[in-house]
Parts: sequence; structure tokens; C-alpha cells
Amino acid sequence: MKRVVLVCPGRGSYTRDLLGSLAKAPVRAPILAADAFRAGLGRSTPTELDAAPTYTSRLHVAGENASILTATCTLADHALIADAGAVEIVAVIGNSMGWYTALAVAGALPLTEGLRLVETMGQYQANNVIGGQVVYPLCDGDWQPVDNTAVDRLLADVPGLYVSIRLGRQLVLGGTDDAVRNALARLPARKAGERDAPFQLPLHSAFHTPLMTATAERAAADLADLALVAPRVPLVDGRGGVWFPRHADPAALLDYTLGAQVVAPYDFTLSVRTAMREFAPGALVLLGPGGNLGGAVAQALIDERWANLRTKADFQDRQAVDPIVWSLTRPEQRRLALGAATA
Amino acid sequence: MAVNRAGIVDYNVTALLSALGGAADPAALDRPVRDGTSLTGRRALALYQTQVESRHLDLAARALKARNECFYTIGSSGHEGNAVVAAATRPDDMAFLHYRSGAFFIERARQVPGSTPLMDMLLGLCASTDEPIAGGRHKVFGSLPLNIPPQTSTIASHLPKAVGWAVAIERRARLGLGPTDGRIAVCSFGDASANHSTAVGAINAAEWFAQRDEPCPILFVCEDNGIGISTATKPGWIASIYANRSNLGYVAGDGLDLPDAWDAAQAAAYWVRTHRRPLFLHLRTVRLLGHAGSDVESTYRSAAEITAEEARDPLLCTARLLAEAGVATGSELAAIYESTRTRVAAIAEECIKRPKFTSAVDVVAPLSPRHTDAVRAEVLRAAAAPSPEDAKPRHLAVQINRALAELFAKYPELLLFGEDVGKKGGVYHLTADLQKRFGADRVTDTLLDEQTILGLALGAAQAGLLPMPEIQYLAYFHNACDQIRGEACSLQYFSNGQYRNPMVVRIAGYAYQKGFGGHFHNDNSIAALRDIPGIVIASPARGDDAAAMLRTCVAAARVDGAVCVYLEPIALYMTRDLHVEGDGEWAAPWPSAEDHVPVGVGRTYAPADGGSGDLTIITWANGLYLSLRAAKMLRETYGIACRVLDLRWINPLPVEDIVREARATGRVLVVDECRRTGGVSEAVYTALIDGGVNLPMARVTGLDVYVPLAGAANLVLVQEPQIVDAARALMARPAAPGSAS
Repeated sequence: MKRVVLVCPGRGSYTRDLLGSLAKAPVRAPILAADAFRAGLGRSTPTELDAAPTYTSRLHVAGENASILTATCTLADHALIADAGAVEIVAVIGNSMGWYTALAVAGALPLTEGLRLVETMGQYQANNVIGGQVVYPLCDGDWQPVDNTAVDRLLADVPGLYVSIRLGRQLVLGGTDDAVRNALARLPARKAGERDAPFQLPLHSAFHTPLMTATAERAAADLADLALVAPRVPLVDGRGGVWFPRHADPAALLDYTLGAQVVAPYDFTLSVRTAMREFAPGALVLLGPGGNLGGAVAQALIDERWANLRTKADFQDRQAVDPIVWSLTRPEQRRLALGAATA
Repeated sequence: MAVNRAGIVDYNVTALLSALGGAADPAALDRPVRDGTSLTGRRALALYQTQVESRHLDLAARALKARNECFYTIGSSGHEGNAVVAAATRPDDMAFLHYRSGAFFIERARQVPGSTPLMDMLLGLCASTDEPIAGGRHKVFGSLPLNIPPQTSTIASHLPKAVGWAVAIERRARLGLGPTDGRIAVCSFGDASANHSTAVGAINAAEWFAQRDEPCPILFVCEDNGIGISTATKPGWIASIYANRSNLGYVAGDGLDLPDAWDAAQAAAYWVRTHRRPLFLHLRTVRLLGHAGSDVESTYRSAAEITAEEARDPLLCTARLLAEAGVATGSELAAIYESTRTRVAAIAEECIKRPKFTSAVDVVAPLSPRHTDAVRAEVLRAAAAPSPEDAKPRHLAVQINRALAELFAKYPELLLFGEDVGKKGGVYHLTADLQKRFGADRVTDTLLDEQTILGLALGAAQAGLLPMPEIQYLAYFHNACDQIRGEACSLQYFSNGQYRNPMVVRIAGYAYQKGFGGHFHNDNSIAALRDIPGIVIASPARGDDAAAMLRTCVAAARVDGAVCVYLEPIALYMTRDLHVEGDGEWAAPWPSAEDHVPVGVGRTYAPADGGSGDLTIITWANGLYLSLRAAKMLRETYGIACRVLDLRWINPLPVEDIVREARATGRVLVVDECRRTGGVSEAVYTALIDGGVNLPMARVTGLDVYVPLAGAANLVLVQEPQIVDAARALMARPAAPGSAS
């Protein structure tokens, strides 16, 4: 049985093209739970959001909805994989908000508590976006490193600008509104895939920066009773730290989740590195609407020269014959994750 | 056929785990695992995981060795209890570890997110260049972020520097150069190596500081497995030595019993941290799987003895403890054990594919970097202003003393220590007044132990200071040589340049003390220094060179992390005259910073007539003095014009200068005041031959003997008439075709 690491995507992952995808999810239990949870709060359910006739910023991008939508998709995919039993899950990682989902996927939180955490942090964003996040690639289209002294200079020069997320060979900067404007104006234009960078993530607060200190304090008060336990499978956090089953300290896990995780950089690249080096899985599976994390995961693998992958071309060649990063949205990789019978 | 003990040890664990059964009680996680201990079930289970990971690394090493993919099998099995020491200390406590420290390493790594100890160590076993500390040069426990300097396996050789580090962080704080932050040194070793003079000396040194109330926060951890390769340590031996010392705390713990070891380690670390004094933590362990993979234990232990040791396996002890306390069931513990086996095997498969060295240049690269321009710039940086006194010629001892004072003013982190260097100002007064001017924390009298003196230097350097230890006489260096040979000079190499211990070791040496003092005070053997990889050896003969070269050594230490030995010719300390009394020709003016002497560059004394000369004398130190005198006689009496090259640096030798100056005359006489065998003359000959120089050559050297007392000394040391005779004989030989003459 293939040993795999599950990757839980961040909030901005549920994109226009995914509208309606939740409706097709074969394992319904997590979706029903999420719907019930949101209905109980008198808010639009993930199913309703997914079924909307059109994708709108107001509905689908706003933090209070995007978070629960992404988490629900992720949890549904996890349930699918767990039910299929075709792979052995050896560790779980997440990116940014995906950390909250990862806690639930790894069994450190019961499903409803995971939803509560996602919802609470998401609702803090309703009409309350603090600063912003800017995406900027640190490589060219072939993922080759380029001169990034402009980024270093900017971080040194601009007050209120911080590294928010390390995402393979891409950086998410977080900062005050002024700092974000400054970054958008001063960073040299580059392509981030098909998009022109730098670009701002709409309606995203400057998570993983000191600007979120008040949010972290609020969360620590509101979620002090979060029913965290040691996970059932190892979790790798945004500092590359490993939380082991059975003996991980729930108090420390809560402290990290609502503390450093919120106000210090989230190093997704490092979490991939640690997961690979400490667990050596045969593949990483991108859950939910996480297909767009594939590039960052691949770049982290290349940084680590895992399995002798050194370039984008190496990675693409490997994916063609023996994929190491699986997305459930790709039929052949979905078959690998779920086994032929259930795919 | 040898029995596979690894298989048996592995089986013992799996068999116990499958037999344990039990029911887990969730409440057991957060209560003491046993009455009276502070170890909770949760922490005990985490330590079990660490122990299991360490064990599977050992088992994997053996399996990989069978596939010829692993190159080191000394393991940690039986010593997994040392995880409690890592748990009781902080990741910023500098840890100098011995070679059975797998569990310590993993447990410390747990405290630093982003650490990947399993892969790091497997890369080491596979000797991959991707290994993060030694880069495939050796399998060591080492890590920069974990504050574990890489330690190779010279027995107990790391203890003196651990003491040095502990003393140095306190001294550094007193000098206002950085806080201690409550850090302590941790240093582990076995019961067998506790017998080594290096261990005995280091522990003695720590006590020496303690009895003087100088802080020395070090936790000595003796992991007593009762055997050193094949020689048993009788029970009670270690405790009989260390349990009742006035200036050394002592705590004993059972390394097989987690709560006992945990409580002991916690108490010990807390005591050291709060009292800032040394403590000896005696942890009883067992040694499983033999000394190393190649060790056939059955040749010196009976089957019953081996089986009895295996029955005391700490993993078995921990598993029973956890099951009995209701922390985990046998099947849960088995799941951890087996999933770890799979993990380690999977990581190993990645590691064996990782690159290995293919180039000698890459292997050698971090040994001793040399940035000549940066060293020069460092010498010129903040150079002292000229003084009217500069022009006045002075002898060697005065100029060295002045250079030391100048360097002390320039570098607040510079420390000088050794026997009698403080109050007395040195046997030859070279360090006179320095303690008064710069304080006893910077100029310090040490105990009489060269291993400790050099160990203090290594530790101080690793603590970010710039030590300048003094060895009172060259002969005394030899009893402590390994501190430089095995430790100091290997640090950049085995850490891929991540750790360094820059220092300048001043040694008073050589003979020619008018027959006074005997061989220990007239030692002229430097072979043991010369072949140490990466070392810089300076050996000035005159005051101006001495000052400039001392500046260079300090700059090279600071810029390149160089380990420099600065060999001073005692016989020339007070010499002022060269040819006749009162000529003052051996006194030299003070050099400015612009008069920089780069490492590995010699100095040529051209013939008085301005020509290229008839013959080249290659020499240094006392040999230079003798050669310049002989050259005068050769010129005035025999009409032979000599060109004299002062090597100034014994390592690296000024090879370009040697070849150039030899070719300038076409004849070479090497004057080597040291022994004929293993002396510098051999290296000069080799440099000439390697350089394609095919000229008439001769050498005069000291004899291969210990220097005797009185006039007999002159019978075995190079004398001026020998130089004159050898030069004349050389001139009588036909010149090589096409040579300059």
C-alpha cells in the first residue's frame, strides 16, 4: 500500500471553476455535517454556496464563506480516501487555513470542532479584513530562481510588510494596506503561472504576520475550549514541527494553532520538506480544491532534490510516468489515491 | 556462523509488544507514570517514540551495511535512555556528544521545529554529501540549529572543550560580550572513556574552576554500560571516583528506567543551570549489538551474558512501564515500533540515492579556507596609529609583548591564558603587564594541564571568543597534541564550515639555550604539528616579523577561522645583536599594519653585494640567525655570496619562494635546527623536487635525538661551522646544467 502525505489547501483554493464540485462528492457525511453546522448558525451552507448559479466575490471569496467551503471540500476528499482504503496516510500537512482542516483530517479535532475552528477564524474576516496579502513568485516560468534582491529590499524598507507564507518558490507577503500598496507598486512585474504578479489576494487579511495579534488573542479567548487531542496520524505544522499521535500535547497544539501559527510566517515549503524527510511518503495527495498547490509542492520537492528532482522538467517527466503529487481532480491520479475499484 | 544479535534484539521487542496487551487509560497520559516521579505518561510515550526511532536507525544501519550502502555501524542501542538528558536540557545548551547519542539527538530535534533527525542521520550513515553537518565526511552527531558541534570518536577528546565552552560563556558575559542566557554545556561519554586522561583532566579542570568559585556550568553525562569494547568496567568503579567530590555535583540515574533517569536528569540539569557549577550525571545503561557492527561480542562475553544484557533492553523496560501504567497498550506500542521501522526504511531508500563525493577538491574544501585579501584587510582595519617609539629597534620579546597589547586593544574578544601568563607575565615576560592592563578575565593563569589549556581555547572559540592560549614549552604541547590534531583542526572540516574554533596558540620552543634546561625546555621537534591538516604554523625570528605575523594570525583566525600555532624561538627572545656585540642588528623596528606578512610568504635576505648570489640557504627561526652569521663568514672568508630565505611559515610552506630563491642561485643549502627525520628540511627538499628544481642540494640538521644538557647540546644541534662547511662543499659540486650559476 502506498504511503502518502495528505495536503490540505488554504482558503483561496475554492475557485470559479470548482462551482458545483461539492455536489458531486461521493462521500457525503462531512458535507452533511458542515451543512448542519452552518445551518445551525443561520448561515449559508457549503452546499448552498456550491450550488450558487454564479461565482461571486461576495459569496465565494469572502473569508467567512471561502473558509468553510474549502474546508468542506477537503474533508469530503479525506473521507473519500479514508473510505477507499487504498493508501496508507503517514502524515498530514496544510497550508495556512488548511492547517485547521489538517487538524481535523489528522484526527486532532472532531469534525464539528474542526468546522468550529474554521468558521470562527473565517467569521473574524466578515467586514473586518486587516491589511492584505500579496502573491509574488521567486522564480521564472521554468521555476528557475531569479534575482530577488528587490523582495529583500522591500521587506527591509517597508514598514508593516512581512513574509506571510512561504509557498514553494512563491512568496505571500502580508502587510498593512499601505505596505500592500507599496509592494504592489514596487515589485517588478512577473508572471505567476498565467497571472500577472504581484497581485493581491482579494479579501484576505495579513494572516501569519504580527498584524494579526489581536485576532490571535481573540481566538485564544473564543476557542480556549477547543477539543483538541493528539492526532491519529502525524501532523506537520507551518514551522516544520511534527505532532505525533497519542502523545502530542493538546495544550501546546492549541497554543501553536491560535498563537504562532496566526502571527508568524507559515512555511508551507518547510512543512513539505519535513514531511518528506521524516516520513518519506511515496506520494503527496492534494485534497479538496487544492490542485493549485501542486506547483508549490513540486517546487518544495525540487528544493529538497527529493527523488533526484531538480527542475520543473524533471518533475513533469516524473508525473508522466510515476506521479509523486496526486490531485483528485485528475482522473489517473484519483485512481491512484482511491484504488481502481472506487475511483 | 555468527548469530545475528540485531535480529534477536529486534525480535525481543516485537515479542514483548505482542505479549503485553493491556488497556490504555486516557487519564494516564497526564499523570505521573509512576508514583513519585515527575515524568507523565505523555512525556514517557514521547520518549518511547524517540527511543524507538533511535533503535530503528541502528537496525537500518546494519541492514544497509549488508547491502554495502552504510559505512558506519557504531550504534546507540542500549543507550536510548539518554533521550531524557535532551529532554532536561535546552536546544541552546551546547551539547558535546559521544557516539551513542541517537536518542539524545532525536529528542533535542523535537524541540526545534523543522528538524529532520532521521533523514539527517541516515544520510550520515550513507556518507552522502547531502548530510547536513559533516557533508558526508563522517557519521557524526552534529547540527548547527541544535547546538551540537560534530564530534568524531576520539575517546573523551571533546570533554576539555566542553569545559572550555562552559567557562567561556560566563567569561564572555562578564566581559559584556554577550549574555549566558542561562545556557549550560552538556557533555556525554562512556564509562570506559571516563578512564581516559583527557576525561580525567577535563573533569579535574571543571572542579578546579569550581573550587575557585569561577562559574563552570557543565553537565557531564557518563553513560555507564559496564564495558569498553571488550573490557568490563566493574560495578561501582565510576561511582567510587565521582560520587563524593567536593567541587563536583553527582546524581545517579538508571538509564534503563525512564522515570528514574528522567528525574535524575531533570534534577541534574536544573542544579547546573542554577548553580553554574559542574555536575556528574551517572546514567547506567547497557550496550546492545556489540561495540560496532564488526564486533563479535561472543569472543569475550558468554552467550548467557549477552542474553542477560539483551533482556535489560531499555525499549523493553519502557514498553513494560507504559503498558503497566495504562499509557498505551502493547498493540499501540507495536504500532509505533513497526510504523517507525517502515518510516526509517523508506527514508533510507531515499538516502542511498543521494550523492556522494566525487572530487577530492570538494572533500577538502572546508578544511582551512584562506582568504588572503580579507586577512590583509582585517590587519589594516582599525590599525593602531604610528608612534614615535616605532622606529626604535627592539628585540623579539618586547615586540611580541607590544603586539599582544595592540591586539588586545583591537579585539575585545581576545583572551590570553596559560601557565604563569598573568601575574608573573610569563616565564620570559612576554605577557608582562597584560593582566594589569586588560583584566584577569582576559589574561588568565590556568592550571598546569596543556590539554585543559587547549580545551579552554577550543571551547572559548566556539563560544565566539578569540583565544590565544600559551603553551609554556614546545615539549608540553606534545602531551596535548590531540586537542589541536583531532579536534581544533578538524572542526571546520567535519562541520562543512558551519562550526569553527579560531585561535592562535603561542608556543615557546626550540633549543639553543646555551645548554641550559634540558630537552623539555629545548624541544626541537615539530613533526607532530606539521602534518596536521589545515593548521597554520608561524615561526618568526625577528621582532618586526613577529609583530606582523601575530597580527596576521589573529586576522586569519578571525576571517577564516584558522587554527594558528605561533612558534617562538626562546633563544632569540632577548637577542639584540647579530654579528658582534653591540651591533644591534637583531633588534627590529615596530612594523606598521602596511608591513603585512601574508600567511605562507617567506622573507629573502639578498647578498650584500646586490647580486643574485652563489648559493641559497633556506632556513627559519634560530636557523636564520645562524645562517646570516655563517653567510657573513662565507662572504668575507671564502668569497661565497649567500642568499638566505627565511621561511617564516612552516605551514603552509612558502613553496613559491623556495623554488624561486633556489633557482636564483642554482645551489640550495637547507639549515634545519630541528631533527633530521620528520623535520622541515624534508619538506623543503620535497617542495624543490615537486617544483621541478634539479640543483645541487644539501642540508644540515639537528640529530635525531633528545637535546642533552650543557655543551653536549651543541653536539646534536646545527652549528655555524657546519653551515659554512656544507656551503663550501656545495660550492665544490658541479652546477646543474642550465642553472643560474
